[in-house]
Amino acid sequence: MTHLGSLALALAFLLACYAVVTSLWGALRRQEAWITSGTHAAYAVFGCIVIAVAALLQALIIHDFNVEYVASYSSSTLPFQYTIAALWGGQKGSLLFWTFLLTFFSTIVHLQNRTKNRELMPYVTATLMVITLFFLGLLCFITPPFERLSFTPQEGSDLNPLLQNYWMTIHPPSLYLGYVSASVPFAFAIAALVTGKLSDVWIRTTRRWALTSWFFLSIGNLLGGRWAYEVLGWGGYWAWDPVENAAIMPWFTASAYLHSVMIQEKKNMLKVWNMVLVILTFALTIFGTFLTRSGVISSVHSFTQSGLGPYFMAFLLLVLTTSLGLLIYRFPELKSDNELDSLLSREAAFLLNNWVLVGLAFATFWGTVFPVLSEWVRGVKITVGPPFFNKVNGPLGIVLLFLTGVGPVIAWRRASAKSLRRNFTFSLVSGVIFGVLFFLLGYRNYYAIVVLSLAGFVLGTILSEFYRGTRARQAMLRENSAQALGRLVGKNPRRYGGYVVHVGVVLIFIGVAGSSFFKIEKQISLKPGETVEVGRYTLKYDGIKNSEDAHVASQAAVVEVFVGGRQIDTMHPEKRLYKKQNQPTTEVAIRPTLREDLYVVLGSYDEPSGLATLQVFVNPLLSWLWIGGIVLVLGTCITMLPNPAERQALALARRSVETGAEVAAD
Amino acid sequence: MKTPIVLLFAGVLLCPAPTSAAPSTTQEIEEALTCQCSCGLTVHSCNHLQCGFAVPAKQTIAEQIQQEKGKDEIIAAFVARYGEKVLSAPTTTGFNLAAWLTPFLALLIGGAVVGVLSLRWTRKRLRDAAETPIAPPSTNQYRARLQKELDTFDG
Repeated sequence: MTHLGSLALALAFLLACYAVVTSLWGALRRQEAWITSGTHAAYAVFGCIVIAVAALLQALIIHDFNVEYVASYSSSTLPFQYTIAALWGGQKGSLLFWTFLLTFFSTIVHLQNRTKNRELMPYVTATLMVITLFFLGLLCFITPPFERLSFTPQEGSDLNPLLQNYWMTIHPPSLYLGYVSASVPFAFAIAALVTGKLSDVWIRTTRRWALTSWFFLSIGNLLGGRWAYEVLGWGGYWAWDPVENAAIMPWFTASAYLHSVMIQEKKNMLKVWNMVLVILTFALTIFGTFLTRSGVISSVHSFTQSGLGPYFMAFLLLVLTTSLGLLIYRFPELKSDNELDSLLSREAAFLLNNWVLVGLAFATFWGTVFPVLSEWVRGVKITVGPPFFNKVNGPLGIVLLFLTGVGPVIAWRRASAKSLRRNFTFSLVSGVIFGVLFFLLGYRNYYAIVVLSLAGFVLGTILSEFYRGTRARQAMLRENSAQALGRLVGKNPRRYGGYVVHVGVVLIFIGVAGSSFFKIEKQISLKPGETVEVGRYTLKYDGIKNSEDAHVASQAAVVEVFVGGRQIDTMHPEKRLYKKQNQPTTEVAIRPTLREDLYVVLGSYDEPSGLATLQVFVNPLLSWLWIGGIVLVLGTCITMLPNPAERQALALARRSVETGAEVAAD
Repeated sequence: MKTPIVLLFAGVLLCPAPTSAAPSTTQEIEEALTCQCSCGLTVHSCNHLQCGFAVPAKQTIAEQIQQEKGKDEIIAAFVARYGEKVLSAPTTTGFNLAAWLTPFLALLIGGAVVGVLSLRWTRKRLRDAAETPIAPPSTNQYRARLQKELDTFDG
């Protein structure tokens, strides 16, 4: 089966070359037959990749340890779900998985556009297939996943124990979905630049792809944070690690794009800027992959480091020079009639929002690459760690939070003093109430109070938007409140789903503020029966329970938790030893509540003395971070609901392109 | 309305953000140093069990604080032994200053560009509006009504 997998990859490579050539030839010669042949070849590439993935999965499942990848990343005792996760647990498998997703999305794009965007599609095909060719080139010639060993080990080396966790089965696929789906808007942008078809059609066509990319990048980042929180045992969830930064940078630019594209749709402005954002987002996904695989910057994600850096750098340079070259070529046609009615308007707020988001992306990029730059310039290695990013990105995050409350509510074109008073009075009061409330609850830190007050401000604006919209429907259409609210959201899911997303973001900020500024931590060594006070909790250590199976040996501390003399829980932080890799890991015990998380780590255990070292953290408000993530997911799903107004706008845009007539956007 | 917003922005951007609430000197020093075990975390946060660097480093810091050595002196001793890479953030001297200044400089330049373009686009709009021929009187009432509805409409 692995021989079939290798053949499938080689065939896919040839078919991808064919798809590029025939699509471009057909477009230049205006011959639909060649274009169709290229499309069919793209479908066939996907089919070949499915075979290759199936071959690798089969090798993992049957424990074919003669395959180097299987021997390196699995074992006969590895639980089934992690055997499957091993597909993306190592370098070669993750590249194959990326290629699978890319060709899958290519197939969907072709199916979606069988009868639409016919002038753009040959160039979309060519662009997607060129990206596919890059990854296939790596898989066929540089790092083949089906390489066999000269001998067959009796047992595999096992998957890295840090990856044997529920969150790690879904975190990488989520991030890859986010990275890979950014290829689609990029491909359409390139097609628009090549063909000169620079109207709104390509933007409206790819809006959902951009949203999909942003959605999965959001989930991927949140899941990565959750994994770090549960597994790494340092009491935190984000350390501004270079690989974490690589995942958040395209999220910043994608967020900026999702906002600024609204300005283009409404006012036909910022065409060049939106092109730049799409190109930048895709380039950052490639840059992120370069960071994880090049070894240029050291990272806790070291399991994927390899010598592929130069290839990714070369591809990144190709992407940037080609796309920026095309952008410069089409610049005169892209220049739009930019007008702002007022500096106090939603357009202006979105411009500020873009400024902050792109600023965050740049600051993160700069901090990530500065160690390399420093070594190149001064020959001195330095570290740029959390204190830098917190000091630089923290204030920007606060400004962004403020704009999150202003943007949705300020009027398009021009906000009058009357509308500002009407729209923001409730929000300002809400912000002050939040600030005072948290202050009275003991959250006494200037920055935290600013963040929490702004959180109240933003929640106030969003609540008032839902309230006013619902009341207007009730008054006009005599609907009850549930009907009115449901139809309000249903008639404009993009707007109101966006508001729900903003609520999610606010809740995330609340979780970050509480856990960053008010964390309590203590490390203590205890004998059985001894207690320790941490915050409002009393923890009593009751000894160790040992357990073992073929795969892992575990020591779990028994820790009773008391508040006010009453036992409220028993927690079991563990130390595990994964036998195959002889690697110890921590399994953190977490007691989450809406108020705070109690987080206990078993640091070490000395059997002769019975002494256990516990690290105990109290993380206030942290659960709101994860709740915010769930709300963000819900909001994004709402924005993706069918929107008749959006379909109409896209149809109008297509008709105006076909007739060449000027049609008003709304 | 504008003044409080400007003051808020200025206050937030000019004040350095704390990384934790009222940390002790020990924690401050541990947070200022990067663990050299490749975890990528600070000495304070290192999650490796019995870490060969963080554990002895924490002991050294605790001993030196008991000897009443200052924070800067303790950190300098680590830098002398392990090099600048042991610091968890760049210093603010020499080339390292570029690490801190560049993001804010980029923001300033970006902000200036956004500001200039916004002003230019706003003036252009006003200029275009002024050059537009005055509509016949019969449409003025509708324009006024449209303007009023646009002012209140924020969809």
